Amino acid sequence: MPLRVRLTLWYGTALALILIIFSTVLYFVTARSLRDAVDESLEETAAAAVRSLEERGFLPLVNEDELMSQFPELARIDKFFQIFSPSGTITIRSPNVKQHEMPLSPKALEVALAGRTLLEFAKYPKEPPLRLISVPIIFRGSLLYIIQVGTSMDSVEATLNRLLLVLLVSVPIALAVSLAGGWFMAGRALRPVDAITLAAQRIAGGDLTQRLTVPASADEIGRLTKTFNGMIDRLETSFRQIRQFSSDASHELRTPLTVMKGETELALRRPRATDDYKIVLESNLEEIDRMTRIVDELLFLSRTDMGEVKMERQPVPLDSLIEDLHRQASLLGHERDIQVVLRATAPAAVLGDELRLRELFLNLLDNAVKYSHPGGTVEIALTIEHTQAQVTVTDRGIGIAQEDQSRIFDRFYRTDNARTHTKKGTGLGLAICAWIVESHGGQLKVQSKVGEGSSFTVKLPLAPAAAKRPLTPS
Amino acid sequence: MRILVIEDETKVGCFIKRALEEESYAVDLCEDGARGLQIALITNYDLLIVDLMLPSLPGLEILKGVRQAKVQTPILILTAQSQVDQRVKGLDAGADDYLTKPFAIDELLARIRALLRRGSTESPGVLQIDDLALNPATREVTRSGQRIDLTLKEYALLEYLMRHTGRVLTRPMISEHVWNQDFDTFTNVIDVYVNYLRNKIDRGRSKKLIHTIRGSGYMLKAD
Ligand SMILES: Nc1ncnc2c1ncn2[C@@H]1O[C@H](COP(=O)(O)OP(=O)(O)O)[C@@H](O)[C@H]1O
Ligand SMILES: [Mg+2]
Repeated sequence: MPLRVRLTLWYGTALALILIIFSTVLYFVTARSLRDAVDESLEETAAAAVRSLEERGFLPLVNEDELMSQFPELARIDKFFQIFSPSGTITIRSPNVKQHEMPLSPKALEVALAGRTLLEFAKYPKEPPLRLISVPIIFRGSLLYIIQVGTSMDSVEATLNRLLLVLLVSVPIALAVSLAGGWFMAGRALRPVDAITLAAQRIAGGDLTQRLTVPASADEIGRLTKTFNGMIDRLETSFRQIRQFSSDASHELRTPLTVMKGETELALRRPRATDDYKIVLESNLEEIDRMTRIVDELLFLSRTDMGEVKMERQPVPLDSLIEDLHRQASLLGHERDIQVVLRATAPAAVLGDELRLRELFLNLLDNAVKYSHPGGTVEIALTIEHTQAQVTVTDRGIGIAQEDQSRIFDRFYRTDNARTHTKKGTGLGLAICAWIVESHGGQLKVQSKVGEGSSFTVKLPLAPAAAKRPLTPS
Repeated sequence: MRILVIEDETKVGCFIKRALEEESYAVDLCEDGARGLQIALITNYDLLIVDLMLPSLPGLEILKGVRQAKVQTPILILTAQSQVDQRVKGLDAGADDYLTKPFAIDELLARIRALLRRGSTESPGVLQIDDLALNPATREVTRSGQRIDLTLKEYALLEYLMRHTGRVLTRPMISEHVWNQDFDTFTNVIDVYVNYLRNKIDRGRSKKLIHTIRGSGYMLKAD
């Protein structure tokens, strides 16, 4: 059931209950107070009658005329008198009760004999009910007679009936009107929700540039709208990153394909010398190696994205790992006449995956050598800072501009400087490094200045056992 | 026909250059975008081939720079992105055609021929003057139906002359369109090649097509 219908129904039910209770209470309170007023006036009249009878010493009235002269107002008011003998037989009555015989009810007689006053209803067919008060007149301990005053409940009943009619008509009308109002209000309150639904549908259809207009009020809808927009922002960003990533990936893979296709086609256009074919095949082999590396690294990165890469957590002696890598990097550097120096080392063990850590530092060293100028120096240092092992790889190479420093860890990002400096490189190495460092609970930082060189710092938490050992500064 | 290739991937640039040279085009290669734009503006090329992804200056900026300088040389762009919007932007910025990497060499050559044809006044594929015919697609040259074998440079020279029949072509003009920037203008290589051509085309025929215009250069015409 739509929310709007449900809200309206809840609202309507609650309102109907309130109106019904209110009308019922109103009706009964009104009925009660109207009857009380009748009773009061009957009692007053009776009391007045008793007083005036008292004045004449309780002498019994003999006929109607005497009654009328005793109570002249009877001709005007809507009440009537009857006087009964102590046996309950009627002795005299006012002229406005001609139509019916109205004997004293047994109950009234009984109560009167007990010396008390009784108020009662009397009902005759086809007549409005009557309200009667019977007052015993007692003189010197004996019941002289019973005086009864009565009045018709006609006007009270009529008033109550009118009230009932008014309630029966106005309550449903009020209910209907406020249901319509509630329906309208619910619609108004829910309209932003409809807008959100529409926008969500458009966005689901692929248009991530859509945003909801945030209402000025800071209510629930306002918060929902902001939350929703924030969510789409993040979605759009990650979609853009994915699109950028796949376009970068296809570009990086198309370049070697272009070379291979172009060189091969060119070689096949006419007969060539054997050496020419050899050159083409060697070049193609290079491209195949490059593609293989890109595909391997991409595969690794996408497996890290899926959380599929298993990491060992063994104590790894960093010092011996770094010494080993230093030898390896020296060979790398030798080809380009670059010296690799191990400036400092300290006994340090971290918990982690030795193969991955090796890959991490080799990547950094490979970069340092690759982006150095021939004749340059690359320095490695392993130190201990508090509870962390710190490995620094420093070069005096081409450097990285400030605005590029945050982007070099992005996949496929290579600075223009680096591109002109060397054709080797995929732009994926640092992305992999960043992941390895992160999954070891460490930090990877870069400091660099264009033309002066770069320094990459890896901080890794020491393995607990090693951390307890007394620190031996290098 | 002289062509400038602006492409930062060395290997790609090299094989394009070699393929074009084997088709007798004069080719200059530039790996840097900013320098490429400079060269394109000071040299009178017949065609530019521009890669859109370049360090220092994106290919799109080169296109804009060239068109802003009112240079109408046809431009062929190379893109690695197969995305439509890149190509559309390239074409909007003044490129005449595009090719997505990786591409077939035959297609590259066909598109170059089409662009060069578009640049000149005559539109048919086969260039014809009197009974001399030159087909750029097959690079076949015939006179009165008889096949004439030409070397690459001779062919390039003849093609240039035939695309500008009836006009005086000075030696600097010829060197600019037939030889690349490694060529030293102050030699008599042009005269030597014109003589080679004369030998193959006009020798033993009553009607001479290649005329020397004393003091200025050469002209190809039917009478
Ligand atoms: N030591 C360094 N000196 C200068 N630039 C560097 C250095 N290390 C990394 N970079 C920059 O960061 C980019 C990304 O590095 P990386 O992900 O390892 O890719 P690749 O080395 O394959 O280019 C490099 O292209 C280069 O621009
Ligand atoms: Mg690298």
